[in-house]
Amino acid sequence: MSAIEIRALCRDYGVGRAGDKRTQALSDVDLTVELGEVRGLVGPNGAGKTTLCKILSTVLEATSGSAQVLGHDAATDAATVRRHIGIVFGGDRGLYGRLNARQNLRFWAAMYGLHGAPLRLRVDELLERLGLADRAGDRVDTFSRGMKQRLHLARGLVGDPRVLLLDEPTVGMDPVAARDFRSLVGEMRAEGRTVLITTHDMAEAEAVCDLVTMIDRGRVLLTDTPSAIGEVVPRHERVVAGAVPEQTRQALTALPGVVSVEQEPSGRLRVETADSSVTGTVLRLLVEAGVSDLSTQRPNLEDAYLHLIGDRGMAVG
Amino acid sequence: MSLTASITAPARIIRYSAANALADMRHMYTWKTWTFGWLGRMLAQVTFFAFFGHVIGSADQTRYLLVGNAVMTCVIESMMVIVSTTWERRVGTLTLLSAAPAPLSWVFIGRSLQWPVSGTLTSLAALFGLGPAFGVHWRAGQILPVTALVVLTAATTYCFGLFVAAVAFNADGARNIISNATYLLMMAVCGVQVPTSYWPDWVRVVAQAIPLTQTLKAIRSVSGGTGPALVPACWAVLLGVGWLVAASWMFQLMARRGRRTGSMGTGA
Repeated sequence: MSAIEIRALCRDYGVGRAGDKRTQALSDVDLTVELGEVRGLVGPNGAGKTTLCKILSTVLEATSGSAQVLGHDAATDAATVRRHIGIVFGGDRGLYGRLNARQNLRFWAAMYGLHGAPLRLRVDELLERLGLADRAGDRVDTFSRGMKQRLHLARGLVGDPRVLLLDEPTVGMDPVAARDFRSLVGEMRAEGRTVLITTHDMAEAEAVCDLVTMIDRGRVLLTDTPSAIGEVVPRHERVVAGAVPEQTRQALTALPGVVSVEQEPSGRLRVETADSSVTGTVLRLLVEAGVSDLSTQRPNLEDAYLHLIGDRGMAVG
Repeated sequence: MSLTASITAPARIIRYSAANALADMRHMYTWKTWTFGWLGRMLAQVTFFAFFGHVIGSADQTRYLLVGNAVMTCVIESMMVIVSTTWERRVGTLTLLSAAPAPLSWVFIGRSLQWPVSGTLTSLAALFGLGPAFGVHWRAGQILPVTALVVLTAATTYCFGLFVAAVAFNADGARNIISNATYLLMMAVCGVQVPTSYWPDWVRVVAQAIPLTQTLKAIRSVSGGTGPALVPACWAVLLGVGWLVAASWMFQLMARRGRRTGSMGTGA
């Protein structure tokens, strides 16, 4: 049994004033996430990531196809699915700001059927684990974005779910808070929970995911490990160099085997080469020109994202 | 689920949800702003209507208008449930509530309980505090039954308001209009300003299904010693339970519709 099994899933929305025009948010999506896996779902805004999460969490019905969580159909056996899943959305919303952290978690624990001593123990344990115990009695309105996000995760875990759906969980977080959050996702994996995480952040997907599924315009483009997806882009190598004289730049552009020469926003020169022998020639030219600020790179997940989805994907945050 | 669990589980969620209602109330009012702002405004409204009776020079008319409008204050406040039910969508919790195992209706029953509680206090202050100023005096033996009937009015109106809130669940932008229109209609047809006998038969039939009509009849009976209060009070209890069941069913229906149309809130 897989943790998540999606087959031929479609979801249409009515748009326009009368809702008579249809737009397809998901189109024939197939996806399998195994038990204990951390799966990244990456794609630009409007790709269908949140729609997919909503269908899996039973708050939205699919137009056609099926979505199963731990063998239970999200449409026909929604009550069982709800007991097995936890959902965490990014951003400030979704918490009761006028209640304190402990009251928030107690409310949600009751919603998941906990009561009495087990409820209190579970809430205290989560507050401790997420580093919120010292602020448990403070109103959530007074929390920082990072603290709110940790409380969101605690809320998502309060029902002890086997499957966690994290929809853009680190959006708007500062880098330190985002790093801490990623390490918490690592803990979820170590506990054997299945995690489906949607993100725009390629570094995040590379850091925490076993497999990544790229999605765009409601269709799955590909699924593979982050490193394997990096191989999807043409097998170019890349040399990045700073303070390159103009004459050397022209020589590099004319060199056979050099695919492209572009200036990065930082001012450094990025040279794409067809293979490693050309890379050697490029490096020699640069060293002979007195350039000492040099590095070579292999394509990564971000390159694959840009290659498959294009600049449109990076225009959204 | 055992019988005990089927009672304690909703009760627990209603209790935690009511804590949220209390937090909202504390955020909106201090005891000073409630007393001199809200209560003062409501007493002014009751005074305004009772004064008509005084101007007409009829003690019965004054009593009729004062009692009706004093009880109406708890109705106005209880009907605020229509507005506050939409708050879940606005704070981004509706999606999460929809994905939780417990029914939405349990949350909403507790979520706006501040209104009937505050409304009861407002009505009692108007009846017992303002009444004597207009010649409406109360005997010691009347205070307890009138208090109980005001509590019943607030509670059963809250159940009716929950039903309207469920019907208006997806009409977020019209929540204030629906709330105001509903209580103004109740004010007109339930015997607050004019007796129900003033209206055509079909309006009277509709009014009988609204708990306020029954509780007001019972309060007037206790107040004027004109008839049995128990029968209309029992009708009010039955109607309140009926509207509560209808509200739970309507919330389920609207949630099902929301899942189909994608209107169960945006990602939080």
